[in-house]
Amino acid sequence: MLITCPYCGPRDVIEFTYQGDGNRERPNPASQDLEAWNAYVYDRLNPAGDHNEIWQHSGGCRAHLRMVRNTLTHEISSVAFVRGAAANTKSGGKP
Amino acid sequence: MSPRRADTGGRVDRQRTIRFTFDGIAYTGHAGDTLASALLANGVTLFGRSFKYHRPRGVLSAGVEEPNALVTVLKGEFREPNLPATMVEIHDGLTAVSQNRTPTLAWDIGALNQLGGKVLAAGFYYKTFMGPVFGPLKGTRFWMFCEHFIRRAAGLGRAGSTPDKARYERMNAFCDVLVVGSGPAGLMAATAAAEQGANVILAELDPQFGGSANWSGETIDGMPAASWARRVAGQLERHDNVRLLPRTTVWGHYDGNVMAAIERVSDFKERSAKGEPRHRHWTIRAKSVVLATGSLERPLVFPGNDRPGVMLAHAAQRYANEFGVLPGSKIALFTNNDSAYGAAVALKKAGAAIVAIVDVRSELSAETRSLASAAEAELLNGHAVVATEGGKGLSGIKVQRFDAVSGALTGDSRSIHADCLLMSGGWSPTIHLASQAGARAQWSPARQAFLPPKPDGRWIGAGAFTGSFSTDEAIAEGRAAGLSAAGGHAAPAVLPTVEATPCDPDPAPVFEIKAKGRSFVDFQHDVTSEDVRLAHREGFISVEHLKRYTTLGMATDQGKNSNVPGLAIMAQALGKPIPEVGTTRFRPPFAAVSLGSLAAERYGDLRPERLTPMHDWHIENGATMYSAGLWYRPMIYGLPGETVEQAYVREAKATRESAGIVDVSTLGKIAVQGPDAAEFLDRVYTNMFSTLVVGKARYGLMLREDGVAFDDGTTWRLGEQDFLMTTTTANAGKVMQHLEYFLDVIWPELKVTITSVTDEWAGAAIGGPKARQILAACVTGTPVDNAALPFMGIVHGRIAGVPVMICRLSFSGEMAFEVYCGAGYGTHVWEALIEAGKPFGLVTYGLEALGTMRIEKGHVTGAEIDGRTTARDLHLDWMLSKKKPFIGSSMMDREGLVAQDRLELVGLVSLDNRPLNGGSHIVEQLDEANPHGSIGHITACCYSPALGKYIALALVKGGKARHGTRAFASDPLRGRFGPVEIVSNHFYDPDGSRMHG
Amino acid sequence: MAEHQIPQRQSPLEPDYRVGSHGDFEHGVDVILTETRPGSILQLAAWPGEEKMLMSAIRAITGLALPDGAGGGATDGARAAFGFAPGRFTVVDETEGLAASFARVVTPAIGTVTDLSHGRTAIRIAGPKAEWVLAKLFAIDFALSAFPLGAGRSTTHHDVFTQIQRTGADQFDMYVFRSFARSFWKTLCHASEEVGYEVQ
Repeated sequence: MLITCPYCGPRDVIEFTYQGDGNRERPNPASQDLEAWNAYVYDRLNPAGDHNEIWQHSGGCRAHLRMVRNTLTHEISSVAFVRGAAANTKSGGKP
Repeated sequence: MSPRRADTGGRVDRQRTIRFTFDGIAYTGHAGDTLASALLANGVTLFGRSFKYHRPRGVLSAGVEEPNALVTVLKGEFREPNLPATMVEIHDGLTAVSQNRTPTLAWDIGALNQLGGKVLAAGFYYKTFMGPVFGPLKGTRFWMFCEHFIRRAAGLGRAGSTPDKARYERMNAFCDVLVVGSGPAGLMAATAAAEQGANVILAELDPQFGGSANWSGETIDGMPAASWARRVAGQLERHDNVRLLPRTTVWGHYDGNVMAAIERVSDFKERSAKGEPRHRHWTIRAKSVVLATGSLERPLVFPGNDRPGVMLAHAAQRYANEFGVLPGSKIALFTNNDSAYGAAVALKKAGAAIVAIVDVRSELSAETRSLASAAEAELLNGHAVVATEGGKGLSGIKVQRFDAVSGALTGDSRSIHADCLLMSGGWSPTIHLASQAGARAQWSPARQAFLPPKPDGRWIGAGAFTGSFSTDEAIAEGRAAGLSAAGGHAAPAVLPTVEATPCDPDPAPVFEIKAKGRSFVDFQHDVTSEDVRLAHREGFISVEHLKRYTTLGMATDQGKNSNVPGLAIMAQALGKPIPEVGTTRFRPPFAAVSLGSLAAERYGDLRPERLTPMHDWHIENGATMYSAGLWYRPMIYGLPGETVEQAYVREAKATRESAGIVDVSTLGKIAVQGPDAAEFLDRVYTNMFSTLVVGKARYGLMLREDGVAFDDGTTWRLGEQDFLMTTTTANAGKVMQHLEYFLDVIWPELKVTITSVTDEWAGAAIGGPKARQILAACVTGTPVDNAALPFMGIVHGRIAGVPVMICRLSFSGEMAFEVYCGAGYGTHVWEALIEAGKPFGLVTYGLEALGTMRIEKGHVTGAEIDGRTTARDLHLDWMLSKKKPFIGSSMMDREGLVAQDRLELVGLVSLDNRPLNGGSHIVEQLDEANPHGSIGHITACCYSPALGKYIALALVKGGKARHGTRAFASDPLRGRFGPVEIVSNHFYDPDGSRMHG
Repeated sequence: MAEHQIPQRQSPLEPDYRVGSHGDFEHGVDVILTETRPGSILQLAAWPGEEKMLMSAIRAITGLALPDGAGGGATDGARAAFGFAPGRFTVVDETEGLAASFARVVTPAIGTVTDLSHGRTAIRIAGPKAEWVLAKLFAIDFALSAFPLGAGRSTTHHDVFTQIQRTGADQFDMYVFRSFARSFWKTLCHASEEVGYEVQ
């Protein structure tokens, strides 16, 4: 299986590390809303089909990638740097 | 020249004689022979014994699908079993032996199993050995008694126990187009793609390119097909953008067109060149794959179809045309289709007598009849073979009138003398790789075969693979596939012209002749047509169940011959058409793969070694090394005659009395730089780092998001925006990834760079009452007194001319310093420290003494920060800042994480003065016979020279509340039970007066 | 205490660095392996949007003009620079002291400078079979069309993280972690035996 890193190009899956469900939203760090934290830390979608995922190109440029991967076919329909995309959003915010 | 070898023809070089042995008998063959062709040329008909019944078996095929003629090749002490003789190229000195026979191939006592055939039918093992005991000869216990004998009697070749000295390698390749198979279709595809400028790899499992062109006897572009193939392959070789891989089996088709292949680089040579691998594992990432893998001929299922001398029709044609070898002198054929007639003509031409052609079809075309005449064969259409005769070779066959529609046999049987029977049950496209890639095969009633579906964009098929069995079609489809795979447009072109015997590709739908006697479906696993029907009667109607119950198609050949006939017989039993019964999906590997090729360069040396800058010094100075993760670290520097315990006790004691030095280069070191570095550290550590002043270090603790402790270490502030973080050796990689994740994904707005600098610095920790004096004696450029270098202070100076960074911190509990310098100077500085320490009694110490001193101090490591413990469990709650949120701060106070009965860090003292064991449970009441009631476990233990006792750290329920009470260590596995006292984890110098000086 | 001269840096390869011809060299030496021992190996990182500034700093200090795009790099024999990750560059100089030069121009507003002169070991493979030998170890395409002159790549051989720069038509410079260098060197030598190699 190959993953096309936006920086390095297509590389073997062995160079990448799965870093979790890309749908998670980190609560405000100061928040004590345990339910929100619980959902963030433990709740995972497990779709049979397209899944938003975060991978790190740990054996290459080490950038984190946001991917949509089909869990049935392994087809990867999109790959993008997380950092570029997330820099403009709140995503977790400053503590 | 052997009487079975023709004077001319084929790929063998008759000028070169090759000497080899089979079962200890010396034979000769020619360069270009396979073991099968060479033995056939020598008149050998018996190649092996079958798996279950030990029936004598000959060679069935001429290629990779061979189920019968499996041999073991010996190279010195090393043995490689289960190689198809059809795939072994002979070389001088080749030593091959037959398999699964005792004592010899010709006289095999295991053949007695045939007499018990009814007992050994499908499901024998399940019925006999599974489940509860009913009577003496049933059940699982009976299996345990019989297993040894059965394993010896049933089976394949024996693996050796000698290490394989051969070299294996892997190779990575990238291409635009991978063409699998080099018959006319593959050659055309590779040529078309190469002419489009694509980077092409052409893989062929045989030594010679050309596939069927090498034996078809056809004419292409006015020349023998084999010559045409050689010419095209020669042209391809001259292309810079083409790589030819002969002797290379593509065996796996994975996601994203990642293809696995094995190249047999030097098996065919008497000895390989220096550094040349035996096998090379290729991982080929192809933008597009052309599957030109051809097709496999199917046997017919009839009584005695496994007798040596019974062979696939095209295989005999191959032996005649490719090797100049006749598998018999009086040959009969049995077929349900036209293709066998070409074989008959070829064998006749090569010098054999064709005594009969038995065809299940009653109606035959005029062309077919004229081919039979050309072969001068008696044509028995509307007949079937119902029995074969002979012992270790064929002496004759019995035929009977046959109705292909009803399957009925009528009239008297008739005997025909023949020493070879060729059979053809039609052809199955070799769709394995497409199937691996997820293609669902489709049944073609006309071809009576599973054909691949339409190409899916990743692969495209050509030739016999698609069910187009004529060379004309193969050439046209091959070119089109090559063009399309290379992204070119189909343009009209003059294609090579083919002269071939006419051949209707559609066989009669006949798979089995039901007559008295055993008819084999799966030759390698001895599965008969009756076994398939038995499985049906017993309720195994799914094809997947059939496969597992009968083991049909589960042998090393993976049912290349047997899948379709087996399925057809099952379909008939079910009264369903074949497509409704379905087929199993093929999985990798297509053919057997050597384990060596998969291990490749990792053979014997599974992991890279990580060495510290002072590694060689440690070895030269008597260190016993210990592997910690990938690192190698000194365990002890033992003196002659010392035990490990004596050595570490001496080292630890000397450190506490004078001074000791230890290599700490393995500690994870991460440079944290940038304007937001301090802010970032405040977020990832439980305590504050923004308040740390430049030139000072602080001990820090990290939690995971779920509030559980993650890692600890000191972080040094080297500049306003420049920190050096240290982590535990084991967690260095994990911490790095953790930090990178937060910077990239959660806090992309922070301007922080993190870089692994573990390897940049050599580190030495020097501790003990004399440590400061030793430093004072060798450090220049900075004072090291208490004012200049207070606890957790950092100074820069030089040792022996080398710039060093010194931080005063302590793991041992003594006055101690960590000295860091550029890794390239590590040994130089280390030796200077040792030299300076000599007058002060400085000792080197290893991991054991390091561990001992940390246990005495009650410091935690990975054994306690085990992914389950919290900061409170480890008495590190003083590090949890209340002034700021940090990773884990919101989750760390959950009910379960603050409960009273959690395991907490304590110290233990052995009350019977005997060593404790790591992993021992702690119990309140000792019950050696029935160990139970664990209240915790030991995480680390040692003999403490400072206390003169055996001590341990443990995680125990209730923890602190139990200080001063007694309990027991319970270690039933190692039989160690004994009383302990529960104490504080701070055994030694609890107020830290020694390290603060 | 007498002032010492700064000693020579110790190579991590020393006991396994055997100058001479090895492997199947009777049929010719097809690759040459060397440890190039540069004085300076730096990692430079630019904050998002500051990449151009960093590239001009590289040009100002080393004279190397880096092409745009992922993995773009250049070399002049004495100095080399290439991108290996978004906003990150490796810069190498034969002489020591490069970190100090960059520290003056790469301000906190642009990015960071990290000195890895000791932490990375530089190994060069050169010769007609260089691509062939490297393809045994790394799953990347070494063909000139896919890996142009001067360009850099980050990849891994098992656990050995490696940066590779093409510094010639058939020459590559590899930067590996120092602690792994000896193990990697042995693997590289082993892989080169087939084609015959010389250590210089």
